[in-house]
Amino acid sequence: MAGFLKVLFRNVLEGPSTDPFPLGATFTPDRLRGRARINPELCMGCGICHNSCVAGAINITHLPDGSGYTITIWQNSCCLCASCRHYCPTGAMSITSDWHSAHPDTDKYDRLEQHTIKYEPCAGCGTLMRPIPAALAKRLYAATPHLDPEKIRHLCPDCRRQEDAKRNAGIVTATTTETVAAREIVSAAPTKY
Amino acid sequence: MSLDTTLKKLSVRSPWLFRINAGSCNGCDVELATTACIPRYDVERFGCRYCGSPRHADVVLITGPVTTRVRDRVLRVWEEIPDPKVTVAVGICPISGGVFREGYSIEGPLDRFLPVDVNVPGCPPRPQAILEAVVLARSIWLKKLGFE
Amino acid sequence: MTDTLLAIVHMAIFPGGFFALALGFLYKALDRRVEARLQRRIGPPLTQPWLDAAKLLTKETLIPKTACRSAFLLAPVFGFTGMAVCAAFIPVPGVYSGLFNMGDLLVIFYLLPIPAMALMLGGSASSSPFGALGFSREMLLMLAYETPLLMILLAVAMLVGKGLGAESSGAEFSLLKIVAWQQENGSLGFNPAMIPALLAYLIFLPGTMGMAPFDVAEAETELLEGPLLEYGGPLLALFTVTSAFKTFVVLGLGVALFFPGVLGSWWPVNLVWFVLKCLALMLLSLTLVKSACGRLRIDQAFRFYVTVPTALALCSLVLVWLL
Repeated sequence: MAGFLKVLFRNVLEGPSTDPFPLGATFTPDRLRGRARINPELCMGCGICHNSCVAGAINITHLPDGSGYTITIWQNSCCLCASCRHYCPTGAMSITSDWHSAHPDTDKYDRLEQHTIKYEPCAGCGTLMRPIPAALAKRLYAATPHLDPEKIRHLCPDCRRQEDAKRNAGIVTATTTETVAAREIVSAAPTKY
Repeated sequence: MSLDTTLKKLSVRSPWLFRINAGSCNGCDVELATTACIPRYDVERFGCRYCGSPRHADVVLITGPVTTRVRDRVLRVWEEIPDPKVTVAVGICPISGGVFREGYSIEGPLDRFLPVDVNVPGCPPRPQAILEAVVLARSIWLKKLGFE
Repeated sequence: MTDTLLAIVHMAIFPGGFFALALGFLYKALDRRVEARLQRRIGPPLTQPWLDAAKLLTKETLIPKTACRSAFLLAPVFGFTGMAVCAAFIPVPGVYSGLFNMGDLLVIFYLLPIPAMALMLGGSASSSPFGALGFSREMLLMLAYETPLLMILLAVAMLVGKGLGAESSGAEFSLLKIVAWQQENGSLGFNPAMIPALLAYLIFLPGTMGMAPFDVAEAETELLEGPLLEYGGPLLALFTVTSAFKTFVVLGLGVALFFPGVLGSWWPVNLVWFVLKCLALMLLSLTLVKSACGRLRIDQAFRFYVTVPTALALCSLVLVWLL
């Protein structure tokens, strides 16, 4: 008890350490995990976030006419684990430090993060597709400067494959008769374990 | 202003809190204890007090996804609380079922069984968010008494 | 006729009734506030007990179906009445000398356990198992702390009786004479023979007020407030008012028994002096101990009360008898 008395005496000397919140301001650490946000510019609709979300808070539905998709986060089910941010390949998911989550029950179903993203026609064949986000395309084709990311990102996967084939066809000479030497396979190893 | 009105207006400045654990993982309960025990959050500033008996409670904080076994007990304890009372669902579990949603023993969400007034989602919510919820519960209590 | 009227005024306004209530609530608020400061918190505003009481008055009253209705409703009234009367017997040195100029120690000793009895009555009438457990604990604790209290009162009475010599018959139980004797011959709190008794009284205070480490009967974490479990609304408000009265009574009694000194003859100064002395007594024996200790088990609390304060009080009693 004597030790406690010493602590109590020191406490009185130091004064209260109470945060003035909610009457005043409080602090928010930068890395605090609060409300989840989607950047509609970057989202490709791949669905990895939907699959990795433990709480099942993320839903992706395709529009009935096939002209796009809607991605929804229900904040009232989000457990702030940040798996979506970790697994999102395009970096569209982010966790803000906004922790002001208290709300009356009447607003319960309004607390959504929802974006409807429309498909665009492919520059080659006109099929509806989601163009690769500009920032992502720039990153993807950084190693191949002779390709124009702005042009290639508006192509659907099929058209991109055809473009690639055309380009490579010009490199390989068709007239030679000698057999092509067995080449080492340099593509990535199969991802199946 | 009559005596009754005065008393009612003053009454919201003394919200006594009561916790019900409806099958929670204890994460939210720890945050609730934090608001009372850690000097930084000091919920006693608003006249709050965590009371042991449901008969003394004004604001009831419910955590957990309402499991099958605990459902009837939660409802029974909730009925014991004298009116007017404000129900606060703490954490995502009572609000939507959270990570336990659609589990075989989960009966929630909570507002299937009783009227919830304030939600404070989070897994767990920040202590400051719980303080915000208590302040919000106070204004809802005032509304229930017929003011504003 | 005027005597009766005066007694009613003393019970309703000063020092019982309103004054005791205001002072008791002030002490309760200060207790919570100082405790918060000791824990580096801010704590509730000083008006908090009043707000709590106002809140409780607006809540609905629920009575358990299986409870004994009349006893359940009467218990808080019983405790309240006992303490309201008892408060009028407490002398404020230099201002007021007790009801009918009497302030008999034995009357106070009989009236003091009434709130605890009311708690027991209410707890057992509520038909709740927690109430019954709280009842048994309250009873056990009361048996343990009443013995040292009786010995303290006896030691004081014997010492003053000896001092008065021929005027009294061995022991002096009139609080009026005890206060007057101390004002002439020095306060008992500074008398070496009475220091053990003073310590015993300081230990007695948290037990009778049901505060940590001796809040075993109302332990909210294990017994869900024990006897108070089923009470809510205005009935609980009555219990808080009783508790405020009791704070005033036990602190006022402590001041009257051990430190009844006055500052001059102007009564407002004496009143403030009395309030400050009570406050010091409370901070020392209730708030400081409460914030430094956890709750004891019932057997530990019982064993503590039947040994330490009893031995201290007995020590004083023997010293007084020998000297």
